Amino acid sequence: MSLLIVENLNIHFKSDRSKDHIHAVRDLSFSLKQGEMLGVVGESGSGKSITNLALMGILADSAIVKADVAKFNGVDLLSLKEKAWQKIRGQEISMIFQDPMTALNPFLSVQFQMIETIQTHLGLSKKDAIDKAVELLNLVGIPSPKDRLKAYPFELSGGMAQRVMIAMAISTNPKLLIADEPTTALDVTIQKQILNLIKMLQEKNNMSVILVTHDLGVVSEYSERLQVMYAGEIIESGKTTDLITHPRHPYTHALLASRPGALVDNLKRMPKTPLPSISGIVPAFHQRPIGCQFNPRCEFVMTECQRSPIAIEVMEPKHREFRCIHPIQSGVIQ
Amino acid sequence: MKQFLKDLFFELKKNRGAMIGIVIILFSLLVAISAPVIAPHNPFLVNSDSLRLPPSFSAGGSKDFLFGTDDLGRDILSRLIYGSQVSLSVGFAVVVLSLITGTFLGIIAGFYGGFLDKSIMRLTDLIMSLPSILFAIVIVAVLGPGIVNAIVAVSIVAIPNFVRIIRAQVMVEKNRQYVSAAKLFGASNFRIMFIEILPNCMAPLIVQASLGFSDGILNVAALGFLGLGAQAPMSEWGTMLSDARSYIESSPWMVTLPGLCILVVVLSFNLLGDGLRDALDPRLKKQN
Amino acid sequence: MSSILEVQSINKIFPIKKMFKKPLDLKALSDINFTLGTNETLGIVGESGCGKSTLAKVLTKLEAPTSGSIELLKIKYPDYNPKDFHSHIQMVFQDPYQSLNPRKKAFDIIADPLRINTDKSEAEIKELVFVMMKRVGLREEFALRYPHHFSGGQRQRLGIARALMLRPKVLILDEPVSALDVSIQAQVLNLLLELQQDFSLSYLFISHDLSVVQHISDRILVMYLGRVVEYGSRDEIFNNPKHPYTQILLDSAPKIGFKSIATKNDVAPGEAPSALYLPKGCAFAPRCPKKTDHCVKSIPPLEDKYNRMVACLNA
Repeated sequence: MSLLIVENLNIHFKSDRSKDHIHAVRDLSFSLKQGEMLGVVGESGSGKSITNLALMGILADSAIVKADVAKFNGVDLLSLKEKAWQKIRGQEISMIFQDPMTALNPFLSVQFQMIETIQTHLGLSKKDAIDKAVELLNLVGIPSPKDRLKAYPFELSGGMAQRVMIAMAISTNPKLLIADEPTTALDVTIQKQILNLIKMLQEKNNMSVILVTHDLGVVSEYSERLQVMYAGEIIESGKTTDLITHPRHPYTHALLASRPGALVDNLKRMPKTPLPSISGIVPAFHQRPIGCQFNPRCEFVMTECQRSPIAIEVMEPKHREFRCIHPIQSGVIQ
Repeated sequence: MKQFLKDLFFELKKNRGAMIGIVIILFSLLVAISAPVIAPHNPFLVNSDSLRLPPSFSAGGSKDFLFGTDDLGRDILSRLIYGSQVSLSVGFAVVVLSLITGTFLGIIAGFYGGFLDKSIMRLTDLIMSLPSILFAIVIVAVLGPGIVNAIVAVSIVAIPNFVRIIRAQVMVEKNRQYVSAAKLFGASNFRIMFIEILPNCMAPLIVQASLGFSDGILNVAALGFLGLGAQAPMSEWGTMLSDARSYIESSPWMVTLPGLCILVVVLSFNLLGDGLRDALDPRLKKQN
Repeated sequence: MSSILEVQSINKIFPIKKMFKKPLDLKALSDINFTLGTNETLGIVGESGCGKSTLAKVLTKLEAPTSGSIELLKIKYPDYNPKDFHSHIQMVFQDPYQSLNPRKKAFDIIADPLRINTDKSEAEIKELVFVMMKRVGLREEFALRYPHHFSGGQRQRLGIARALMLRPKVLILDEPVSALDVSIQAQVLNLLLELQQDFSLSYLFISHDLSVVQHISDRILVMYLGRVVEYGSRDEIFNNPKHPYTQILLDSAPKIGFKSIATKNDVAPGEAPSALYLPKGCAFAPRCPKKTDHCVKSIPPLEDKYNRMVACLNA
């Protein structure tokens, strides 16, 4: 059964400079099973973070969120009042952010911040909450957790701070963890530790995870399913292995092929030779093109691509979806 | 810079207080410039046959003198109109003097640090340790009374505000990478301070300058009131207040009107300053 | 291959003052040796705190080394006059948002190095600026715009144009693509490769992204906590890493199409210690899966083994 179902999610922002609303996220549909990890890949401006904030119900007041369906665990998210949101947010859906240092309050000790979360959500006594905090820190792999509880955020390294954030996020045993670029600010050896930790917790607690990142490499090793976003739309989704070895959308293909280490059609790219690159830049919110969002940068562009929005194409057997009229037929990338 | 001013005005338009401030400031500027044309009488002309006439709209007033006359029979409206010339130019002079000196000292203190920084900051601490008007009185007492000396005194008192603001900003900016880049192509310290860093400190400077305007007007008026600023027969609002002091009960309009002028002009500069601060703050955050 | 930049045993120590305590020495760089050849790219790899940014600052004279000597074109650093120095070595910074003055127009950003260091007329400068803008892929009409009108990739092109105006021989690239979107990185890397040929530049390419370093470098220098742990040709280091830290770094780098839910043993446990309290022996020993008793006793020397330099007793 699906834990989260979203159909045709649209997010607009009111702009104070023009009468037109900014259409930040367009016709987003996806679902997530209990215990599944979904990877969401996109560059800046792709709408991936906005979507997450909408799922947490913490978008700014200037945002207008509409959807045909937005159900979490059977609850219609869009009809929720603030009180009901507070019960779901942090209890059943938790989130961790890119920069753990700014997500933690620098003036309060780890203990204070953890206890506060645990007490409000679980209703434990202070002593029990401390025990629970120690247990959680232990679980996320923080050495000597009792001493660490007394620490202030600036005394922690980036990796340790992210572990603390994860410990707080899972303290209520959430059904869904949204990890928004959780390792972008961290070193690669620490990145691997954190990703392994998230994977371990996902399996242990049968928790669903949405792992958002701009780095295809990060998600491809960890998530079962992958969803590529570009300029506010999902342009391709499917099983991770399938999607990254046989990308159908030209954007996904170009993104994969432009990585310095990629092997395209089993041809090894020699160092110091030109990489296939995507020309141009991601369009700004107010300059999005008509038709396929990628058409100004696409090497296979045709006139049909510039006319009207492209519908999502579904290939049933493998649950592949892509938003392209002329998908790439071959082109194996390793 | 053009784009910057455009954006600034766009943000400012949303702030009603700031817009009211701007309108009043522009109005008083217009009045000051066109004083010889719009003033109904010579502000220095003594009319011995119409002493302390009440305003025309109250009992016993003459329609010749809209706001009445003072103890020497001079037309109060004309004196107020000419007074706006003095007050606005005083405010301007104070801001220019304190801004230039304060910015210079602040940049040097923030950029070089060390002994220079410590000396400059202790000096500003010294100035700030006394109530500003008291310190201004001390300076005028040394230099002698007069409008020019009053301006100098009030400017000196206003310097520390600028020094502190600029110094703090410079200390942030000097660690940015664009400064390293400038060093890498051999820019001199002078160039780095005044061409690279200074334009990035404009936002807080503009706010402080507009607040400094009102402080300047207020302090010079206060000195005038104490007889240390503008000297008779110059028509300055503070001096007018002071002259009218003895008639506060018998001829209240003589005190009320110059007081009201000071209040309105100072308030409008404060409104503008607050508006500027609100308009510039988010922009600052966005860019950093 | 003749060398253009020679770095000999440089050390950089920052004294950290603490109230009521003896100042501590932060050893940001310890005994760094390397050479950079003409038209060559040396990749410098390491995680945060390994000293790669300090190294960039020392090489550009933004910081003076505590000891050691650096020769650029056979001339020692202290013997340079500033003008010659700045026209031989330049730098491209990591963050294109921070490294361009937000209050200066693109034209002035690129023109200022010429205005300061040459006697060229404004007309000559204008021509040179437009030629350079074209070369790095910026349209002429961008000249009068301010940095915040540009995208990240365009800003980085601006930064590259500025660094090239004085026609330097050596360019230090401090994480030049890591702040950019993935689809933009390849554009900038291609540009850097072209420019290297056109201007016969030598690059010192600092990055934490191994696939990028592998693509652009001829030789690699791996640093950990201020020391060189492995130094050799690209293919030797990437195909056959010998230092356990290099091995773990290569394993940890995210790889595409490589179906692995990471196995436990290729993760280095724990985190790098603070450079203020370095262990007595090998700095990597506390996290090293191959450590022996010898490792914690003395710092392993950088030795010529297996066609490269490596600082590991057990390699």
